[in-house]
Order: sequence, then C-alpha cells, then structure tokens
Amino acid sequence: MTESNLKLNFGPQHPAAHGVLRLIMEMDGEVITNLDPHIGLLHRGTEKLAEIKPYNHSIGYMDRMDYVSMMCCEHSYVLAIESLLEIEPPKRAQYIRVMFDEITRIMNHLLWLGAHGLDIGAMALFLYCFREREDLYDAYEAVSGARMHATYYRPGGVYRDLPEEMPRYEANKFISEKKVKKLNYNREGTLLDFIEDFTERFPSLVDEYETLLTDNRIWKQRTVDIGVVNPERAMQLGFTGPMLRGSGIEWDLRRNQSYEVYDELDFLIPIGVNGDCYDRYLVRIEEMRQSNLIIQQCIKWLRENKGPVMIEDHKYRAPKRESMKHDMESLIYHFKHFTEGYSVPEGNTYKAIEHPKGEFGVFLLSDGANKPYRLKVRAPSFAHLAAIDEMSKGHMLADVVSIIGTLDIVFGEIDR
Amino acid sequence: MEQRGIGLGLNTDNDLIDQQGAGFIVTSVDKLVNWARTGSMWPVTFGLACCAIEMMHAGAARYDTDRFGVIFRPSPRQSDVMIVAGTLVNKMAPAIRKVYDQMAEPKWVISMGSCANGGGYYHHSYSVVRGCDQIIPVDIYVPGCPPTSEALINGIIELQEKIKNEESIANG
Amino acid sequence: MDSKTNLESIVTKLAVFDIEASMNQSNPEIKVKNDQLIEIAHALKDDQSFELLLDVIAVDYLTFGDVDWKTNTATNTGYSRAVKPTIIPEIDDTFEDRFAVFYQLLSVSTNQRLTVKVFASESNPPTVPSVVDIWSSADWFEREAFDLMGIHFEGHPDLRRILTDYGFIGHPFRKDFPTNGNLEVVYDEEKGEVVYQPVSITTRPSVPRVIRDQDD
Repeated sequence: MTESNLKLNFGPQHPAAHGVLRLIMEMDGEVITNLDPHIGLLHRGTEKLAEIKPYNHSIGYMDRMDYVSMMCCEHSYVLAIESLLEIEPPKRAQYIRVMFDEITRIMNHLLWLGAHGLDIGAMALFLYCFREREDLYDAYEAVSGARMHATYYRPGGVYRDLPEEMPRYEANKFISEKKVKKLNYNREGTLLDFIEDFTERFPSLVDEYETLLTDNRIWKQRTVDIGVVNPERAMQLGFTGPMLRGSGIEWDLRRNQSYEVYDELDFLIPIGVNGDCYDRYLVRIEEMRQSNLIIQQCIKWLRENKGPVMIEDHKYRAPKRESMKHDMESLIYHFKHFTEGYSVPEGNTYKAIEHPKGEFGVFLLSDGANKPYRLKVRAPSFAHLAAIDEMSKGHMLADVVSIIGTLDIVFGEIDR
Repeated sequence: MEQRGIGLGLNTDNDLIDQQGAGFIVTSVDKLVNWARTGSMWPVTFGLACCAIEMMHAGAARYDTDRFGVIFRPSPRQSDVMIVAGTLVNKMAPAIRKVYDQMAEPKWVISMGSCANGGGYYHHSYSVVRGCDQIIPVDIYVPGCPPTSEALINGIIELQEKIKNEESIANG
Repeated sequence: MDSKTNLESIVTKLAVFDIEASMNQSNPEIKVKNDQLIEIAHALKDDQSFELLLDVIAVDYLTFGDVDWKTNTATNTGYSRAVKPTIIPEIDDTFEDRFAVFYQLLSVSTNQRLTVKVFASESNPPTVPSVVDIWSSADWFEREAFDLMGIHFEGHPDLRRILTDYGFIGHPFRKDFPTNGNLEVVYDEEKGEVVYQPVSITTRPSVPRVIRDQDD
C-alpha cells in the first residue's frame, strides 16, 4: 500500500473561511505541505464597471470593496481624483475625513478581533465587539444616512457637514419612558458629543478585551510562533500595514508620507518584535487605542473651527437644493454634475492611504473624459493572502485558521 | 369557512375532503407544525459579501435573532433556511446549488440585498449572476444595499408569516 | 519637491539604460524598454533599495481618447440616452503599443515611490519579462494581469487564471471584451446542474463619454 499526501478542499462555504475562500490543501497527516488558495469567488468586475460610469458614480463601488472598513477605501479613490484635478478640500473637510478614517479603523479592528476570536474559540468576544460597532454604525448613519456604505467622501471635500442632532430612541408599549431616557443619554447633543462619549468609554472596553486574551494561556499557545515572517521576507512579499509593523518595520503612511492633516496630530505607531500572530494581535489592539486618541483630537478641533466642507468650485460641488429650485444656473450645474459629471485632465496617478489592513492604493489613468479610462485598486489583502502558502508550511490544520485570521482578509477587496 | 364547515365531520367522504379543502383536525395539526417550524428556523451561514456583515449584526447584541429562534448553523444538513447574503458570482454558482441541494426538506431561501435579488449594483458585470433566483428558488426577497439588520429581521418575520399560511400537511 | 531630486538621481544612476523620466501628478515615473526591464529592476532593488513591489497594473490603450458624443460644436438634438447599445471595438491586432504594464515601487528605507512603465511586446500574446525572482509579491499580481488582460509574463513559474471563472475564455478587461460578458449561468432543472448560456442583457450608455476642456 502506497502512502500519499491527503488533498483536502477547505471552503468555499465554511464558517472559518472569512467569506468565500477555497483552499486546496495537501497535507501529510495533520501537517500542511502545500496550500493553494483559489480566489475569484467574489470577482464582480468592479474595475470594468467603473469604466462605464462617471467618477462620482463609482464612489459606491469603493465602499463595497472592503466592506468592513468602508470610508477608508472611498478616501483613497477620492484622493486619486483630487490629485488629477489638482484641487484640495477645505481644512474642516480634511479633519472630518481623518476622524471618520480613524472611526473606520476602530470598526475594522473590532470586527477582526471578533472574527479572529470566534475562529480560535473565544466566542463571547464576538458579541462585545459587535456591540461597539453598532455605536459606530450609528455615527455613519447620522452623517450619511446609511449604516454601512456611506458614499460620504466626494472629490473636493465631504458631502455635507456633521449633523446637529442624533436620532433617538422613542418610548412605545415595550420600552418605558424611563428606560428610553437611559438609552438616550449620549444622543441628546450633536454627533460630536455622541462620538466623544464613545471615545471616553472605549479605552476601558479595550482593557476588557485585553484582560480576556492577552495573558490567556490558550490564546498564547494558539498564536505565539504561528505564521512567523521575518522583516526582509515581509517586504519581499509585499506586506504593508499591521502585517509589516508586526514584523518590526517602522512604516506607517500616516507618519512617513502624511496626507490630509495627520502631520498635525499626535499619535504613536506600535511595532511588533517577532512577526508572529500574537505580535500582530498586540499591534492592532494598540492601534485601536491610538485611533481613539486621534478621534479625540479631531473632535476638539472640529468643535472650535467651523467652516465649509466642500470646495467652492461649481464644477465639483452640487449646488444647494434651495438655490437649485430658484436659480436657473444652479439648476444647470446640478443637472450637469449629477449626470455627466466633471472631466478629469489627462494623466495617471497612484494614491495610497494607510488603510486598517495595510496600504490601499488606487491607480487612476485618465484620457481627459468624464469616465475613468483605467481604474485599478491595490488591495492589501491580495498580497497578504498570496503569502499564506509560505506562512503555513509545516503548521497544522488548526493553525491555518489562526493564520487566515491574522492576515485580516476580506474578499470584497481581494476579488474586487 | 364553508370548507371548514363541510370538513367538520358531517361527511366522511374522502373525495369530498380532497375537493373542498382541509378539515378541522388537519388544520390544527398544520398550525402546530407551522408553529414549530417558524419558532426555530436555523439558517446556514452563507454570507458572501457586505450583506453578510449586516447579517452578523442582526445576530449580534442589538438586533438579536436568537430571540426569534434563529441560530446560525455552519452545516447545511442541519439547517432549514438559507439566507443568500451578497453578490452571487458565476464561479460560486455551482457551490451554492450544491449547498442548497444538501439541505433537507422543508427548506426556504431568503434572498438578502439587491445583489442577490437581481444583480444589484453589479448587474451589468460579466461575472455576476443576475439574481440568485437563476440558480435556486427564492421565497422572500429583502431589498436594500445592504438591508439594515432591522430589514433582515423583517424579512425573517415575513418568511414566518409565509410559512404559517402554508397548509403543509393538507398538501402532503 | 523632494521627489523631483530623487527622480533626477535615479535617472543619473541608470544613465546606462535607455529610459524616459517624467513627473506625473503624484509620483516620479520612468518609462523603460521591454528587453531592459529585468536589469533595471535588479538595479532598482539592489542599488536604489526599492524593496517593495506594491502593484502590477496592466493597461489596454486601444480606445484611448474615444468618445460617445463629440461636443465641440453645438447640436440641436443632444444625446439620446440609453437608446443605442454600447459600441464594442473590433479586435485589432495592428494597433501598436497597445498593452502597457505599470509597476508601483516603494522604498521603505529612503521613503520614495517610483512608477515604472513598460510596453508589452508586439507579439500575440503580448509578453513582458517576469520580475517574480526579484520581488516575490509579483507572483499573484502578474497572474492577475495575465488573467484580466492577457499579458504573458515570461519566466513566471505558475501562470494560470486567478480571478475569473474556471474555464473562462477571453480576457475581460481588454477594451474589445463587452462589459456584460458573453456567457451567463443558470440552473437547468432537467440536467440538474448549473449550465452556461449566452448573455441576455445589453448595456446601453445613459451617460455619454465626453472629453471636455477644463476651462469650459
């Protein structure tokens, strides 16, 4: 009887597959010898569809790429368009964008933590992380109307200013007035008051998660020395973001190639030592705390400085609705803006931001028309997933689940 | 009403029952069976894209689906509902049909989000199935992009209403 | 700007090769010849310390500058929206310099970015030498460029389709491939399996593609 390696199919429908991932594994008993990921099970042809739509109509596609951190993807696309148009948003818009970027970073890391914990076995963490995410979804909804896909950033600024009121709970036959008053305690003021209350509660919540996991023997056994990547190899493989920082390389686009108003803000960049799953976990937890500090600084600035949130140039901004109803010129601008859009001068650009998962870059090539000629999105998870073969050789099947979790992949952006 | 009256036992002719509809005992058993079915609908986790995140939020602490008896099961063999959450792509179509075929009767499908309803935002793409009803039969369509967790819970309640109106034993 | 001096230093250090340098909107860009790509890549990685290859982008220049509606003169009819189906260009083998590949490089130690542009060869299929031995991240990026654009990377160990369907025919992101595709998938009750049939929808542009001058 000849012995041969076992070839096993993992996914595409699998609770730990993080979406639609199909792994063809060759195993020698329980140990992995070869891993071949099959992706493309969520390939929707976004970049081809973007070529038939005007620039502003594709902002929604960017949301749906990395659907756990929506506004950061929009940000990258909008920065690319702004660099080709050579316009800059007003300062208040930049602060709003930075604040929502950091809120998005917290959202992403919370979902990562909940899903990673769920895969490894810490199931209660999932519910705690999602409870915090609900508050952040309320912030998204207050500012744009949609809980997930906001389409809030536009070239030239953001669509509209922060609201003065938050939606509140109402009393009905199941909930008494007294209970409703307790639920509404942080919704009595503006959106900034709501977010400020969140930032005040958040550090103690992160302490709770750390108490559960950081010194936990089981967690450490399942993450220390799993998926180790040394710094030179990490750069060779195209890692960016927490994957690179977990291996010890000090590289963060917010610090090294600052965009928007990050150079005016005060925050630290956590760096790992060993390059294993445990270090990356610690890096992301600390990033959540630092994002909290950044949001607090932004709230302080936004309270003190009022101003426009969109540039004045009529070609790129939609006119006010009241003036559109009275003024013929505004009506024409409104019609032209929402149908044909603006034409972007010829040229190409590559703009990247520090997305929660790594470096999310957008390459835009324009021939002068109102629709992009070529839009390419550089998704961080694509390069990270390509390395899974190398990272899991010699590990066991259960470790593959840890490694998939630590890579922090989302199929919307891998397959596009 | 007329059907029930005839079926109250005044006429034991089986042909008449078949022609005039179900009887009193059968409808009571129907009610019991439908109560059991709607009280514990277990979906198989079939989250494909962004709608999966809203589905996870629906199962989390604020919009709790567990109070409706809905627990997400990883295996299709142990579930009776499939919630197709996200864009269905040509490459994934055989897999979804396989998962649907593995579910035991009675089974229902909720199509969640505009991508699963009819292609949605990606309708004109070369690689997207324009609605998961091209591949599997769908009972409830939940609109939205993504539908909020409340909308998904509304969809689940609609499915419960639909099941309650089915005469499962009477129809065999 | 700092990038400009960096670009000049790169150009002087690579003066032995035949390159054209320019500053596009945000990054320094150099255009290199197809046959010199591998040597230049080695020089960039070892001497200029560009350790990270961030992205490999394939572009098809077939319909560059084409518009749906010419708007220089005034018309009295305007554009009839969503009436005619999208025009798909004919497959053109005689078009010169049709496929280009852009490489996005990053140097962590010196904090620089660089874009390298190279045109694929005129053969069928268009070919570009593979840089997978220099930067390992090129593996999947080149597979994707092959899958979506049909550019063949010489020297790549495992060039197969990655994103499109199993058994997909055609290269979707080429300009002569329709947005709707050619085949769609449906479940056949009789056969009991998922089958392919010709696509049943057409895309009609409701917003025309126009090129307008910025000062209009």
